[in-house]
Amino acid sequence: MGLATYVIRRLIFLIPVLLGVTVLIFALTMFFSPTQRALLYIRNPQALRPEAIQGVIDKYHLNDPFYVQYFVWLSEILKGNFGWSKSANMPVLSAIAVKFPATFEIIMFAAPVIVILGLYLGIQSAVHRDTIVDHITRTTSIIGWSLPSFWLGLVLLAIFYGYLGWCPPGRLSSDAQNFVVSGQFTKYTGLYILDGFLNGQLWISWDAFRHVILPATVIIVIDIALIVRVARSSMLEALTKAYVIAARAKGLTEKEVINKHARRNALIPVVTISGLLVGGLITGVTITETVFGFGGLGNWAATSAQHLDIPSVLGFAMFTAIVFVITNLIVDILYAYIDPRIRLT
Amino acid sequence: MTTSSRWEEFKISMQPRIKEWKFMLRRMRESPLSIAGIAIIVGFIIIALLAPVLAPPTNSDPFIIPSDDEISKLDPTPIPPSTKHLFGTTGIHQYDIYYACIWGTITAFRVGITTVAISLIIGLTVGVAAAYYGGMADEVLMRFTDIIIAFPGLILAMALVIAIPSTFSLNISLILTVILGLTVLFMFLKRVNMKITAPLLIIFIVALVSLFNPINLDFNINRLDKVLIALWLIGWPSYARVIRGEVLRVKNEDFVEAAKAAGASDLRIVMKHLLPNSIYPVLIMASLDTGSIVLTAAALSFLGLGAPTNYADWGQIIQRSQTWIYAGGNLVRNMHVFLIPGIFIFVFVLGWNLLGDAFRDVLDPTLRRR
Repeated sequence: MGLATYVIRRLIFLIPVLLGVTVLIFALTMFFSPTQRALLYIRNPQALRPEAIQGVIDKYHLNDPFYVQYFVWLSEILKGNFGWSKSANMPVLSAIAVKFPATFEIIMFAAPVIVILGLYLGIQSAVHRDTIVDHITRTTSIIGWSLPSFWLGLVLLAIFYGYLGWCPPGRLSSDAQNFVVSGQFTKYTGLYILDGFLNGQLWISWDAFRHVILPATVIIVIDIALIVRVARSSMLEALTKAYVIAARAKGLTEKEVINKHARRNALIPVVTISGLLVGGLITGVTITETVFGFGGLGNWAATSAQHLDIPSVLGFAMFTAIVFVITNLIVDILYAYIDPRIRLT
Repeated sequence: MTTSSRWEEFKISMQPRIKEWKFMLRRMRESPLSIAGIAIIVGFIIIALLAPVLAPPTNSDPFIIPSDDEISKLDPTPIPPSTKHLFGTTGIHQYDIYYACIWGTITAFRVGITTVAISLIIGLTVGVAAAYYGGMADEVLMRFTDIIIAFPGLILAMALVIAIPSTFSLNISLILTVILGLTVLFMFLKRVNMKITAPLLIIFIVALVSLFNPINLDFNINRLDKVLIALWLIGWPSYARVIRGEVLRVKNEDFVEAAKAAGASDLRIVMKHLLPNSIYPVLIMASLDTGSIVLTAAALSFLGLGAPTNYADWGQIIQRSQTWIYAGGNLVRNMHVFLIPGIFIFVFVLGWNLLGDAFRDVLDPTLRRR
């Protein structure tokens, strides 16, 4: 079976999951009375008259049995009408498009460091098992894993913003923000660091970089532990395998044994967990973004959930489900690349 | 058979298990990290037990933090640590941070332990049922699990905290009817032997009676309870997945077949044969999860969705610093407000993580005997 059919088949699996997500969200909204749910549809505060609310209730069948309501609601979504995001003050789909680059900017810095440094530290830790290297790596990573992200964010802000004034919160400083929206600046990608270069305005890039460095640090410090742990244990397992003993027995240097024989075999669990991690990061650096007032996807989702902005929460959940299926797909394709014995079926 | 020979037999049958426990204890003692973990958790247990002595309650509900509204009216800025307020106060209402930290320990234990326990029960039930009965039951239960896993956990928890109503009235007859319906459906689908007919009949009669004399159970749910419920509902799917895989592995072993052939009931097979042979990976997961559950609960509090503002809870105190994020000077000046409760959260979570790590090293058969 070709790669294309494999990919298509996997994407078809998305449909039941997405339907399930809609059922779940819909069940949540059933906690509320028809009037409360009607209010979710009203954008304009001046329209808050009883007859207007009654009109909304009639229009969306909010008093009908739940299965009728569900299908009315679902048919709207299938038409691509995800609704209006109150918390972003724009349609849900454009809100995702606007907020995604902010989140991606953080991930762009954090994810490569987490995966590469985590893998390196994990393997070093396994190779030098029970030595001082191993102990230090394990202890620091478990400490990072135990830190509350919002607290680490606040501490870093107090030091690097409060004392030193280097890295302010938010996504851009006010003068940079004014310049970006002034019309002299073209948003090619939505990533301000990249757009700054493309526009020849290096100070914008520098400003964006100053803002992104703290949230990225928080994510790295906390999430690297996961990769270190998995890399360490899978490397330890690989090192006891017969082919490693055979490689040593035929007189290869320790470096060759580790780099050529053991490491590649230890990679598969690391790839799995990295896929899950990056998928999780793309969709949910909620707390970190909130601490730094960064205005990305996670921040938006948190505000929407707090104000029970159902269309936004649903849109975000759909987006998450899609990202997860796609990252899992990429992970499975990577398996076949790392281990030629694996066939995609 | 006489009692004494039974006792002897029991002792002999327990010998390998005792040997196992001794081995585990020795391994735990050898690792400095696990000793540190145990010391931290024991320390927090002592704080929790001595809370009434360390911070005598002034209110009838000990979880309400004492405040100083008089000072707050004159000057609403946080008071730095002093002898009167050991860890300082929070600013508006001037809640005492020392008190909040001490009593917050109990809240943290409550959140961590109850959430893990209830998520485990739900997860084990769903996972074992799916694996043991297979077929349709497996398909339905696991697809449901997949959906919850596909959903971003923190966001679902937030939405649940808001959606769960503050007062809850449960109609007993409705619940009983649902349980009855599900059981009958399950029996019909799986053609289970009719051994449990008698209890079903009793439930049916009670359901009928209560249908005509409605009994309502009224609950008042405060915000912390909502957080707990939300965490139970999002926590179980990973356990369900793992236990399902383990049970599927064990299910076709000869000893299960033998038990079936000997006429053991489903419940007995699950409790005596399947669970003891499949539960360890889930227990390891659970011990590693306790810390992160406390972190999630604290994060919800930080977002303003956790315990109410006067309730002794670590994350809730830190939430107050959120207003100074754009004012770096205030953030530095009022550092004690987030620094101290944060250290409590961090050390508590660290303790659980070290303990979980140690458990894993000791219990996981692929790691431990190297």
